[in-house]
Amino acid sequence: MAKALPGYGTIDVPKDRVVPFGAVTPAPVGTQPLFQTSNWRVVRPVRDDEKCTRCLQCYMACPDACWVYKAEGETLEWVGDFCKGCQVCIAQCPEEGALVAVPELDFEGGVVRLEKPF
Amino acid sequence: MPAFDYNFQKLEPIRSFKSVPEDEQYLPGHRTCAGCGPALNYRLVAKAAGKDTIFVGPTGCMYVANASYLCTPYAVSWIHAQITNAGAVASGIEAAFKMAARKGRHTGPFPNIIVMGGDGGSVDIGLQAMSGMMYRGHKVLFICYDNESYANTGIQTSPTTPYGAATTFTPPGKEIPEGKTLFPKNVPQMVIGGHPAVKYVATTTIAHPLDLMNKVRKALSKPGPTFLHILCPCPKGWLFDEKLTPDMAKLAVETGMWSNYEWEDGVYKYTQVPKKYKPVSDYMKPQGRFAHLKPEHIAKMQAFVDEKIKQVQRPIPVAAAVPAKQSA
Amino acid sequence: MAKESMMTGCRAAAEGAKAAEVEVICSYPIRPYTAIMMELAKMVANGELNAEFIHGEGEHAQVSVVLGASAAGARAYTGSSGVGVTYAMEVYSPMAGGRYPVQMSIADRTLDPPGDFGSEHTDAMSTRDQGWLLGWAATPQEVYDNTLMSYRIGEDHRVMLPQMVCQDGYFISHIPDKVTIGEVSQVKEFLPPYRPIHPLSLTNPVSHGPQIRPDQGAPMDAMRAQTFLAVPKVIEEATADFARIFGRKYDPFVEQYKLEDAEIAFFIMGAHSNTARTAVDKLRKEGVKAGMARLRWVRPWPTHQLAEALGHVKAVGVIETSTSYGSAMRGGNLIHELRASLYDLDDRPLVTSFMGGLGGETIWPADFDYMAGVLTKMVKEKRTDRYVYWLGM
Repeated sequence: MAKALPGYGTIDVPKDRVVPFGAVTPAPVGTQPLFQTSNWRVVRPVRDDEKCTRCLQCYMACPDACWVYKAEGETLEWVGDFCKGCQVCIAQCPEEGALVAVPELDFEGGVVRLEKPF
Repeated sequence: MPAFDYNFQKLEPIRSFKSVPEDEQYLPGHRTCAGCGPALNYRLVAKAAGKDTIFVGPTGCMYVANASYLCTPYAVSWIHAQITNAGAVASGIEAAFKMAARKGRHTGPFPNIIVMGGDGGSVDIGLQAMSGMMYRGHKVLFICYDNESYANTGIQTSPTTPYGAATTFTPPGKEIPEGKTLFPKNVPQMVIGGHPAVKYVATTTIAHPLDLMNKVRKALSKPGPTFLHILCPCPKGWLFDEKLTPDMAKLAVETGMWSNYEWEDGVYKYTQVPKKYKPVSDYMKPQGRFAHLKPEHIAKMQAFVDEKIKQVQRPIPVAAAVPAKQSA
Repeated sequence: MAKESMMTGCRAAAEGAKAAEVEVICSYPIRPYTAIMMELAKMVANGELNAEFIHGEGEHAQVSVVLGASAAGARAYTGSSGVGVTYAMEVYSPMAGGRYPVQMSIADRTLDPPGDFGSEHTDAMSTRDQGWLLGWAATPQEVYDNTLMSYRIGEDHRVMLPQMVCQDGYFISHIPDKVTIGEVSQVKEFLPPYRPIHPLSLTNPVSHGPQIRPDQGAPMDAMRAQTFLAVPKVIEEATADFARIFGRKYDPFVEQYKLEDAEIAFFIMGAHSNTARTAVDKLRKEGVKAGMARLRWVRPWPTHQLAEALGHVKAVGVIETSTSYGSAMRGGNLIHELRASLYDLDDRPLVTSFMGGLGGETIWPADFDYMAGVLTKMVKEKRTDRYVYWLGM
C-alpha cells in the first residue's frame, strides 16, 4: 500500500451548537425561561382585591400557574411572565367583577407594545 | 422471594384549594395552547404527586408542546418515550428502582412513576404496552389524558374521539355526513376488565381539580399498577372558545357524556352524578367539531349516552377471578 | 478454578449475562434465541442471579423496557431473533441516541416470509444504521467473551452505546462446544459496574429527550458520529485487557487466518468461518495460497484494518449469509462495505461475493473448493466476472 488511505477527518461542532450528551437536559427550576409565552396575549386578567373572595378558582384553573397563592399571608398574585391570556381564570371566577380582562394595550409595559417578541 | 417493600411516600388527601401543595412541579414556560386542558391536567397531577416523581412522556401534545426546543417544564425527572411504548419504558424504570432498592443504592421512598399518555398513546398505538404493564403488576400510575384526538399531529381521530366529531381523518362530507361514524372505546373498562393485578382505576376531569388530585394520590398509594382516565378538553381540537376549557369538562359530566367514578377492590363508586342529566345537545352545541351534525346524529349520540347513564345507575359487575389478597 | 464445560451459544450468552450481573432482563420467546432467556429464567428463579426478569409483551416492548431500566441506572439485557429483531426497529435509534448501553443478544434467524428457523444475518444487519455497536461471534466461547467485552466497551464513558452481540442461530446457538466460564474475580477485574451519566433521579432531576429544532438535529447527529470515531480505541483496549485477564486473545476487529502470504481469501462472518478455516488448510495442502479474514465487528466497521489485512490479496470472496435485495451487488450486505474499504488502495484486490448458508443451510467443504476455483480463475484472468454467485444455484 504505497499511498495513505483516507481518514475520517474530524467533526468540529461549533460551541454554540453543541447539544447535551444523549439529549439529556437538567430539569428547570422555578420556571422554564426558554419558552416565553407572555407575548401571546392581547388581554390580561386584573383582580379586584375587594371583590375577590379568595375562592382560588383562578389559581386552580390556570394551566400556566400564573396565579401564585401563598398560604402564609393568604396572598394571591398574578405573575404574568407566561400568561397567554386564555381567560380561563376570568371565566371560572364566580364573583361578578372580581376578575376582568383588560387589553394589553392599556398597559405601559403591555406585551403588544413590544418592539420585538423577546 | 420476599414481597418487595415499596416504602410508600406519605401523600395525604387534599381537603381544599388552600391546602394544595404550593410547589409547582410542572413549571410555567411551555408551548401548549392557551387554555390547554392537558396542560392544566399535568400541572394538577404534578402538584399532587410532588417532587419524588418520575414522569414518562410518550410522544403527543404533552411531549411536543412542552418540550419543543431542547428544554422542558418538568421540575422532576422526566423521560421521553415513543408513542408506542410508554407502558414498557415505565416498567423498565420501575424494575431498575426495585433492583436499586434491593441492592441498597436507592434508599428512601419509592419514586412515583407516572406515565402521562394521550388517548392514542394509551389505548391505540400504546395499548399493547399499557396492557403489558398492567398485567405484570408494576407499581406505575398510567394516566390517559384524553383530549379525544391525536391532537399534536393536527387533530386526527383516535379511538376515544366521539361519534359525530369532525377531525382531519373524519371530515364530514356528502358521503359521510356525520364525519366520525365509529363509537369510542371504553377506556377504563378495558383496563378493569382483564388485568388481575390492577389495583385502582378512576376517571375524572380537569374541572374537578380536588377530585383529580386526590385520585392521583390514592393511585400512588397502591402497591401495583393503577390507571386514571382524565377528560382534558382541547379548545383547538374541539373548536370552542379557549376560556371555556373547564366548562366543557363540567358539561361532559352534566350531560352524561362523561362519568366520574372509581373502581377499587372490585367496587364502583360514582361521584358528581347529576340529579337530572342535561341533553347531549347542550354539550355538543358550543363545540365546532359537532357543528355539521343533523338532528338524527344528535339523537344517535343521545341514545348512546342514555345507555352509558344506565351503567351509572347499575354498576358493571366484574367477575373477581383473583382472590382479594394478592402478593405485591 | 476457571471451569470448562460443553455448552451451547445460548447457554454461553446467559452465563455471560449472569457473570455481568445484569439487573433487568426482558424476555419474549422467538426461536432460536429463546434458550438464552430460558437459562436466565432458571438462574433468577434459583437465586443464582439477582435480577428483575420481566415478561415483555413483544420484542418492541423488550427493547423499550430495557431502555427505561438503563435510563434509571440498571445494567439491562434482552435479546431476539429474526422478525423479532425487526419488530423492535423503532426503538433502536432512541436507544443509541439516548446513549443507553443495554445489550441485546441476537441468535440470528432468517427473516419472514415465511417462517424459517435457520440462520441468516439479515435480521441484525438490517439495524446497522441505527447507531448500535454490532458484532458477531463464531463459537459459543466467543459468545460468552463478547457478552463481557461488549458491556465493557458499551458502558465506557467514551462510548455509552448499546450493543448487539450476534451468533448464528442453531449452528452456534444450539450446538454445544467447549466454553470456559470466567472466575468471579476475573469478571470483576475486567468489567466494572455500570455508571450511568445522568440517570433518572429524584435528587438530581433531569429531562431525557426533549424535542429539538431542526438546527439542533445536525449537531446531535454529529456528536453521535464523533463517538464512533472514539470506539475503535476502546475496542482495542478492552480486547487486550480481556486477553490479559482471561487468557483468550482475539484480534480486535478481524481474525486473520493464513493471510500473510495469501493470494486468494475468504471474507466471512459468523459460524461458517469454522468451515472456512478447515477449507483454507485443505487448500494450502493442495498448494493454493488461501487465507481467511473473519469479521468480528460490523459497527464500527474496521475500514483500515481490512485494507491492511486484505490489501495484498489478489482476489477476495465475500461469503454472504444475508440478503440485500436490489443492492449494488445484488447479493448480500457485507460486500459493499468491504469493497469500499479496499477502494483507495493502489493495487486493490478483485472482489466478488458468494451467497451461502442462506435459510440456515450448511456451507460445505465442496462449496469452498468451488469458491476457491472461482477466485483462482479471477486471479488468472485479472478480472471480476460477476459481483455475486449463488452457491448451488
